[in-house]
Amino acid sequence: MMQIYRVAMREYLENVKTKGFWIGILLFPGMVWMLIELPQFLEERGIPTRHVVIIDRSEDLGEIARQRITLLNRKKVLTALQTHISKATAELREQMMEDQEIDTGQLLDQLEQGLEQLSRSDVEINPFSPNQLVKLGDLIPEQMLLNDAQWAQFKKLALSQLPADAPPFTEPDLRFREVPLIDDISLQNSNEEIEKQLKPYLRGDKLYKNGDEEIELFAMVIIPANALDPDQDLRFWSSNLADTDLLDTILAALSEEAREREYSRRGIASDVVAEVASLRVRSVNFDPNKGAGDEKVGIRDKIRQYAPIGFVYMLWVAIFSIAQMLLNNTIEEKSNRIIEVLLSSLSTNQLLMGKVLGVAAVGVTMQLAWIGSLIGILNLKAGPSATWVADLIAAVITPELLLGFVFYFLAGYFFYAFLFAGIGSICNTIKEAQNYMAPLMLLMMVPLATMTFIPSEPNGTIATTLSWIPFWTPFVMMNRMAASPPEFEIYGTALVLLVSVGLVFLVSARIFRIGVLRTGQPPKLLELLGWLKSRTP
Amino acid sequence: MSDPIELRNVTKNFGDFRAVDDVSFTVPVGTVCGFLGPNGAGKTTCIRMMLDILRPTSGSISILGTPRALDVRERIGYLPEEKGLYKKMTATAVIAYFAMLKGIAPAVAKKTARELLERYGLGDFQNHKCEALSKGMGQKVQVLASIAHDPDLVILDEPFSGLDPVNQGVMEEVIRDIRARGKTVLFSTHVMSHAERICERIIVIAAGRIVFDGSVERAKALLPTIVRVRGTGAEAALAGLTAVTEALPSSDGREGVLELRLREGADPQELLKIAFEQGVALEVFEVVDPNLHEVFVHLVGEKAREAAFR
Repeated sequence: MMQIYRVAMREYLENVKTKGFWIGILLFPGMVWMLIELPQFLEERGIPTRHVVIIDRSEDLGEIARQRITLLNRKKVLTALQTHISKATAELREQMMEDQEIDTGQLLDQLEQGLEQLSRSDVEINPFSPNQLVKLGDLIPEQMLLNDAQWAQFKKLALSQLPADAPPFTEPDLRFREVPLIDDISLQNSNEEIEKQLKPYLRGDKLYKNGDEEIELFAMVIIPANALDPDQDLRFWSSNLADTDLLDTILAALSEEAREREYSRRGIASDVVAEVASLRVRSVNFDPNKGAGDEKVGIRDKIRQYAPIGFVYMLWVAIFSIAQMLLNNTIEEKSNRIIEVLLSSLSTNQLLMGKVLGVAAVGVTMQLAWIGSLIGILNLKAGPSATWVADLIAAVITPELLLGFVFYFLAGYFFYAFLFAGIGSICNTIKEAQNYMAPLMLLMMVPLATMTFIPSEPNGTIATTLSWIPFWTPFVMMNRMAASPPEFEIYGTALVLLVSVGLVFLVSARIFRIGVLRTGQPPKLLELLGWLKSRTP
Repeated sequence: MSDPIELRNVTKNFGDFRAVDDVSFTVPVGTVCGFLGPNGAGKTTCIRMMLDILRPTSGSISILGTPRALDVRERIGYLPEEKGLYKKMTATAVIAYFAMLKGIAPAVAKKTARELLERYGLGDFQNHKCEALSKGMGQKVQVLASIAHDPDLVILDEPFSGLDPVNQGVMEEVIRDIRARGKTVLFSTHVMSHAERICERIIVIAAGRIVFDGSVERAKALLPTIVRVRGTGAEAALAGLTAVTEALPSSDGREGVLELRLREGADPQELLKIAFEQGVALEVFEVVDPNLHEVFVHLVGEKAREAAFR
């Protein structure tokens, strides 16, 4: 036992000292942080204003499209404004913890009143509470956004309500901006001519001139005269095929207009249509597995249904990365010929167990660090008063899930660790090991591929079948945990898994015993089978 | 008390290949025993079997009184033929780790490691990572690692290979120090001069079989004594004697010197006496003591050649 402990201890300390370990530990929270921060950052600052030329051959459709683009632009500013307000008032809202219900109708009245008061210099504005202020952004009606004066006033009103020490608000860049045709292209030209003339700009070969500034032209759209007729198409030119927001916006606006006109042509009031279309049939979901009186399915239950995906992914990454670690340093010990000294001090089984346990400790450390940093980041992002993180954790970390995670982590890890150590023992270089790893890697991809669809059919045929194959049992069963699979399957698959771990250990120990002393070419498969039969090394 | 190393009729096959063939020998306590043989003779296989890393196909082995070396692992020190260290560990840590695996308490192991490094001239490299050590230093560290737990039996596989002459001297010193404490040492080598200097006992193995087992003196006695003579009438007087098996021009290239190979047991003094009686005017009369190198070539020469060309 002492020997195993000392081997494990060395393995642990040496691995923990490596750069790779620390990179692994720090990379994960770093990535989570980026995943949270980056989209918002990109949304706000990352995308430059896109410039577009709109050729309008119709009477009024261009105006409709332009309105919708303005709306898009202002909504972007509105979102930024809202974020700014909630950041600036976070402390105030913190202090007034009472969760007052905000009456939206009343708040809208107050907003209109406020805007009116703002236009008159002789009246004080009725102040908004910080909570109301945050909510305002959601409530402001589209007409108000589209009205230049009202929009400007709204911004002024909202900003005037912020505490005195709030940082200044910088408006984000416009999402899209329309630019007129340059002087040397005439609107009188045919569409084909204009397209031909604009092509170099759209390709990015030439910079477009807007007054004095030089800009990149993002897109050109030609709205034909009878754009709303079914046989007429908009002509949209852009070399960026990924950013479809502009086209989507214009098409949505024009489609809406087309529907509107069709309704009135047929004598249907469009507001009636909107009202009818908004009718929804709702449901309350119940889960028969839950206790009486508590059967209603809430968001928490949904999270719980999908939470195992997170666990499976973590399980996979952990098992894979640390088993890889084991493979690497088995090969190191073997190619460095250290193994022979070790074997004069302990048996191969002790060595194998010590290594596997030591590396397992490394994996557990890594997991704990990851989970800890994840909870830390979520708490930091949500602010100290937010209870949703605690809710989320409470929802995810149920005793069954945790117990399952620990069990499947250990069993799965040992299963793959023994396999990898066995492979490591017959190879002198990582390169040689790759040959053996390839099929194993393919096997390990399966749970990743099935990870996302198993929760939707947790007790289906595929899930059940995969559960019984020890290569996948830990991942698939973890995946199914929330759906309370039949007890018979839980214990049955666990038993199969444990027996397989034992078998893999016996086989690997045999291979390890002979393999570690062997030099030169890795053995052929037949030769390996021979080793399994031989009694003595 | 039984001898530290006892092999009885040990045979080891790897598949169809017989690496060790019916080998028996014992090494008594307090002996420095050289284990000699050409490449591929089966030395390393024998050593691995002694350490229970490999099991013999047939025959029995007893190490420090037990058949399983692992049971007495804390009393054995082993330096394998292929030498390696953990690159990222310091010299002290490696020695301490190997000593700890042999059951030494961590604190004691660390202290011993430092003392050993100090004593054998590596005091300045205590905290250097092994990857920063030269090959020779690394090898010394490994030897120290194998004896840090003060074992009763030390088995060294090719301890001199890869060392420069100065460090070979240090290595010999290490071995003498071990013997001075009354411990038993078995080391393999194919360089005869080391064996000649520090061994009481040599075992020569070739193609898996023992071809010689005894003291260095006895090994040398295996070769015929050679007498070199020069003088008018020397050839006529001495070459035909029954004590002389062969008379050839000297291999050292000196003009007119004759090399006489004596029959086993013949006394060179007899030759001198006869020459005197016959009135030969001797200018040169030398008795050449064969060195172990020649003994070795004599013992394993043919087999080594066969092995080399197989």
